[in-house]
Amino acid sequence: MKELFDIFNVAGFAESRREFLQLMGAGLVYGGVASTLPGCSSGSDGGTTSDSGNPGAGIPAATREYTTLKRTSFGVHRDEMLAIDSIGISAYLDQQLNYLAIDDGILEAHIQTNFPLLFQTPAELYAGFPANIASVLQQAIAAVHYRQIFSRRQLYEVMVEFWTDHFNIQLLNGLCPTLKPTDDAEVIRAHALGNFGDLLRASAKSPAMLFYLDNFLNQESAPNENYARELMELHTLGVDGGYTEQDIKEVARCFTGWSIYFADDPGGDAGTFNYIDAIHDKGSKIVLEEEIPAGGGQEDADQVLDLLIAHASTADFIATKLCRRFITDTPDQSTVDEVATAFTQSGGEITDTLRALFETDAFSNSADLKFTRPSEYLSGLIRALAPDTAYPTDDGNLFYFALAIMGQLPYNWPTPDGYPDEQSYWESTGGLLNRWRLSFISYAEFIEAINVIDIDYGPMLNGANTLASVVDAIINNVLMRPMSSADRNHILTWLEGEHGIPGDTVLLPDVPEQVAAAVAAVLVSSAYFQLR
Amino acid sequence: MDKLVCIFQRGAADGLNSLVPYGDDDYYLHRDTIAVPLPGEAGGAIDLDGFYGLHPALAPLKSIYDANDMALIHAVGIPHGSRSHFSAQGLVERGVDDKSGPDTGWLGRHLSLNPPPSESAFHTVSISGNVPVSLQGATDPLAISDLSEFGFDQDIVDTGYPDVLKDLFHDSIPFASTAQAALAAMAELRAANLSEITPANGASYPDTALGSRLKQAAQLLRSELPTEVICIDSDGWDHHENLPTFLPQSLTELANSVAAFYTDMGSDMSGITLLVMTEFGRRIAKNGSVGTDHGTAGLAYAIGGGVNGGQIVSNWPGLDITDPELGEDLNITTDLRTVLVEMLTKRLGGTDIGHVFPGFSGSFSAEVFSAL
Repeated sequence: MKELFDIFNVAGFAESRREFLQLMGAGLVYGGVASTLPGCSSGSDGGTTSDSGNPGAGIPAATREYTTLKRTSFGVHRDEMLAIDSIGISAYLDQQLNYLAIDDGILEAHIQTNFPLLFQTPAELYAGFPANIASVLQQAIAAVHYRQIFSRRQLYEVMVEFWTDHFNIQLLNGLCPTLKPTDDAEVIRAHALGNFGDLLRASAKSPAMLFYLDNFLNQESAPNENYARELMELHTLGVDGGYTEQDIKEVARCFTGWSIYFADDPGGDAGTFNYIDAIHDKGSKIVLEEEIPAGGGQEDADQVLDLLIAHASTADFIATKLCRRFITDTPDQSTVDEVATAFTQSGGEITDTLRALFETDAFSNSADLKFTRPSEYLSGLIRALAPDTAYPTDDGNLFYFALAIMGQLPYNWPTPDGYPDEQSYWESTGGLLNRWRLSFISYAEFIEAINVIDIDYGPMLNGANTLASVVDAIINNVLMRPMSSADRNHILTWLEGEHGIPGDTVLLPDVPEQVAAAVAAVLVSSAYFQLR
Repeated sequence: MDKLVCIFQRGAADGLNSLVPYGDDDYYLHRDTIAVPLPGEAGGAIDLDGFYGLHPALAPLKSIYDANDMALIHAVGIPHGSRSHFSAQGLVERGVDDKSGPDTGWLGRHLSLNPPPSESAFHTVSISGNVPVSLQGATDPLAISDLSEFGFDQDIVDTGYPDVLKDLFHDSIPFASTAQAALAAMAELRAANLSEITPANGASYPDTALGSRLKQAAQLLRSELPTEVICIDSDGWDHHENLPTFLPQSLTELANSVAAFYTDMGSDMSGITLLVMTEFGRRIAKNGSVGTDHGTAGLAYAIGGGVNGGQIVSNWPGLDITDPELGEDLNITTDLRTVLVEMLTKRLGGTDIGHVFPGFSGSFSAEVFSAL
């Protein structure tokens, strides 16, 4: 393993981290709400609750429309809730699958202007290396957050995250800070909703991958099996996909010579693909019982990739992972088979595969079967407030440390399997506590003060001026799914106790906004928001 | 009954360069440029018994060995046949040699049969953000990556925020018990005042991830909290390249952290068992990148007052890679489950072996532990 940089020691972040931790502990927001609040006359009680049961989750079922958004975006946005209610699930998904027709120009222009290192070539990044490591990391992570929160191509961004995990490359690893931005643009983002074969071939030639999994060292005289093993185990066939240890050795031989140009190498720009025939093993190989004849060159590995792309285990493995991402941690085999069939019949077209997945009964009946990962939770906090293009001027540090603490910092999973996608991994006492603390601070006025996002509770409240009506308005506008009357009343009872007034007492001006922040924090701390 | 601290070396630690079989000529034959030199030579192994020697970076553990509080189990592992980190970690943590076994962890199954007597949320703690597979199946293990940052500020507590969360995570919520455990843990942790528990006996922990985790483990064990089991990860053992540079860094962190913990706990070590294990060992011969690739048997460490220390437990299989019976890997001669069964039986009050290690038919004793 290559030397790792301690992310918390990267210059420039220490101060922000301290600041963030202070915010995490301070409870600044709620201090104001907790102060004694006088009230006078009575108001009306809202009615946004439902007791229709969902025995699976123990809470009222979310609608299919809500679940579809929770699965195919980084959090439910009010505008999209209205859109999907209006045009229907199928039309909404069609729009999202046809992502190039969705204009994201303003966002992408903003990213290009503010995160220019992501658009530099490996050679340009190498010229500034290693001094630019912290900046590359910061810009890469900030761009992820901007896109996850603000992009209108939400399904596309979900798939970008999916393939980023599938073809995981840790950014803080040797030369990867100079290579991963290009991999992100030309491998992951270029093919996220394209063709799996194209994606795999691009990844195999990606200098970031060749570096991260050591294939640049792989040569006839000293084979290195690292990439060959992960190519089959993690990228295509899956660990039980029917290959042997001998296959790994043979695949490694096929990939000998697949390397990269380093800074002083003649013949190519630093950090680009370089096939070196002189170190390629020219002997014959047998991969998955197919002979690859002696005397070949670079095409030996191309032939391996073709074998893997067409293999039934690859279709099953990719379909299983997609079902796990979009349906449930433990998808049933018949659903996986439907998706795998679409994958195979379309020749690995990712949109066709997803379309088949979205048409399965399992997808339609999957409300609340998944637990949000930190990236979905954190982006969802902001998206629940329906942000549009009023991009924050913050440099992304707040999100950086929030995700670092929750354990899902983009590009920072050290091993090639990518961030886990199972509730058993993410559901933990420490994980929940961090979410609760973030919920608590995120809807605070000071978020506005540091320009992460504007929060205006006024339109959501729409005149609500009692504790009860504020609770109902925020359930409607931030949670956007039915809450049981018992749970709604838990929140109201808490507020009544804190404020020392009944729920129907009309509040003084400005108080409803403060109460709204507290209610929003509780709602996004609850199971209703953590499930998807 | 002992308290248990389990350290898992993620990435498959190279046992052959950690506890060096310098008396086996094949070691120097196959590892030439990456081998640890003979005892007495510059950078040489620290002799333990005339055949094995510690890597010099493990020097801080020598006095523990000499005090008969550490046993090393060489050529150990679970014969799961996997060379995939991800599969193998899962199999070892589940305590099975084949993927058809139960999804829960060996320690989780033991704890589910033998629930800790206390009501405390702190009976079982993973000092990380997540519950490891080995603890899956236990009742509400805590996962806390940093004890000093776990909890709400008093201002927030005063608002009653934790109370409304307690109401909202009622029994029918799918992850209610985790939420309730977190809320209970916060309250207990506030009362325990861990920040006032500083390292004792002059112990000095390295300022590293593992150092910090073991320091927190010591704080828990020295506090009033009734913690019985602690799991800790040690990351970064996958040394495919440049082993002579990177392995000593990992071993130094391990040795300094464990030695500090041993010093810190002092006489309390009589009631503590600390285990160090990994998913598999690495190949006998070096690879083309001055490192080692994925292999089979590795090294485990057992430390504590109940350990028959000062010994190396091994039925040395040899390193003759030309022998087709042995192949290119260090062979497993002690099943890791033998060590774990003996530990649970002799130090942790006994267990249902068939339930905790289903399908395991090996020996139940390796003479690593003495009975309580």
